[in-house]
Amino acid sequence: MNEGGEEMDVRMIGDAATAEPVVAAGGALRVERHERADPDTAIQVVFDVRGLSVYYGDFRAISDVTLPVYRHRITALIGPSGCGKTTVLRCLNRMNDLIEGARIEGTILYHGVDLYDPRVDPVEVRRRIGMVFQKPNPFPKSIYENIVFGPKISGYKGDMDELVERSLRRAALWDEVKDKLKQSAMALSGGQQQRLCIARAVAVQPDVILMDEPCSSLDPIATSRIEDLMQELVEDYTIVIVTHNMQQAARVSDRTAFFTVDVDDEGHRTGTVVEYDQTEVIFTNPRERRTEDYVTGRFG
Amino acid sequence: MARVHFHEELEALELDMLGMGELVERAVGRSVSALVHHDDELSKEVVDGDDEVDNMYLSVEERTLHVLALQTPVATDLRLLSAILHTNLHLERIGDMAVNIAKIAHSVLDLPSSQTIMSHLQEMGDIVRPMVRTSMEAFGRRDLELCLRLHEMDDPVDRLNLGMYKEVAALAEDAPSLNWGLRMLLVARQLERVGDHAVDIGEQVGFLLTGEFREFTDASHPARSAHDAG
Repeated sequence: MNEGGEEMDVRMIGDAATAEPVVAAGGALRVERHERADPDTAIQVVFDVRGLSVYYGDFRAISDVTLPVYRHRITALIGPSGCGKTTVLRCLNRMNDLIEGARIEGTILYHGVDLYDPRVDPVEVRRRIGMVFQKPNPFPKSIYENIVFGPKISGYKGDMDELVERSLRRAALWDEVKDKLKQSAMALSGGQQQRLCIARAVAVQPDVILMDEPCSSLDPIATSRIEDLMQELVEDYTIVIVTHNMQQAARVSDRTAFFTVDVDDEGHRTGTVVEYDQTEVIFTNPRERRTEDYVTGRFG
Repeated sequence: MARVHFHEELEALELDMLGMGELVERAVGRSVSALVHHDDELSKEVVDGDDEVDNMYLSVEERTLHVLALQTPVATDLRLLSAILHTNLHLERIGDMAVNIAKIAHSVLDLPSSQTIMSHLQEMGDIVRPMVRTSMEAFGRRDLELCLRLHEMDDPVDRLNLGMYKEVAALAEDAPSLNWGLRMLLVARQLERVGDHAVDIGEQVGFLLTGEFREFTDASHPARSAHDAG
């Protein structure tokens, strides 16, 4: 655990508008950095989300979300439609920057660094914090090209063949595609395409993998393979998953955050976190009545 | 996404289990009555009535497993089903104990008896029958305080059961009386176990309400009180 004032890794620093690094590689920049660990478990906190509110123009999508995300753990975000769980997920790698009018209040510290510091390069953020989407979205290229695309852009100098094999093995896809690496990724099944997307995310050596309903378009067998894969990946990565499937959250995650929608007197709907705890607590003995009602199906 | 049918089935399961509680509570009372009043007809009724208890037990067991398999219950629902499964088995065992007492009552009709021992067995029956009722009320009302009372109710039952050995030993001079007395030891043991099952049901209610399982009494650490557990 590092305390404040440590020198920050300059690769995180860049000008968001120009994508030009404001400090040359190897240069020194001192920024405030407060990395911390959970006081009870000593598990390192990767994301320290504090008092986060997200606005799209005048519309406040989520309000006052506080949520530590722990290293090498799977954190599930659950809740009804419109509760803001995907919004929070997209804040974790600054995907919301791409939406015009989106802004945040509060802070998201990533390993103690303010993720929204203007000097932080969002491209580097997205390399370190990869994302897998609801619908598999391989590039319309070969399986091989899908894997090497990111590493090429980021200037990877190692053995590409070795990287492709390692990434595909990591995503439990190698044995199924090793003889057809030059074939189009679009010819793969839905479950294989999703694992390819995971391999593609892994290829750039991320720290965190965000998953936005990664199994919602997959059949039960493909879903099961992704869930098994998540259990393997979490040994090396930190995973945050948004899922509509509560049983999936119960099966795969270590911690679960339950979000809901608050409606004010004027009918404005805002997402909030009701309860965040170990998954077994959420699904056996939640502390909040609203969580209980949702997970037991008493909440319409 | 409200799960209406699922929750209706949960309520039905609990109602059937509570109904089974009424049946076995009555069976315990009737078995002791059959013994004390030498009522062989009543003994037979208790034995025959156990088929209904067994059928209810099987029905609750099967339906609970179906709900677990098909509805993936969580939180309170999961704890309720777990408590129903355990309590269902406790009730079935209490029903069997009533049958055991009724069979012993039938077997001792021709033997000489001791009024003192009879009155103590009656006393035990008068405590454990309300204990079963109390455990069912605690379940139905979700009443933790009532659960904790079960442990206190059980203390005199344990004392009466322990005292029974001395009372039976006093009959050693007369073989027919000793024969009767040894069977009464078995009756006392059955009644003592009924009390224990009622306490265990109370512990299940405690788990249902708090999400934490704690024994109200601990045979290996008897000094620990119910209030420690609560």
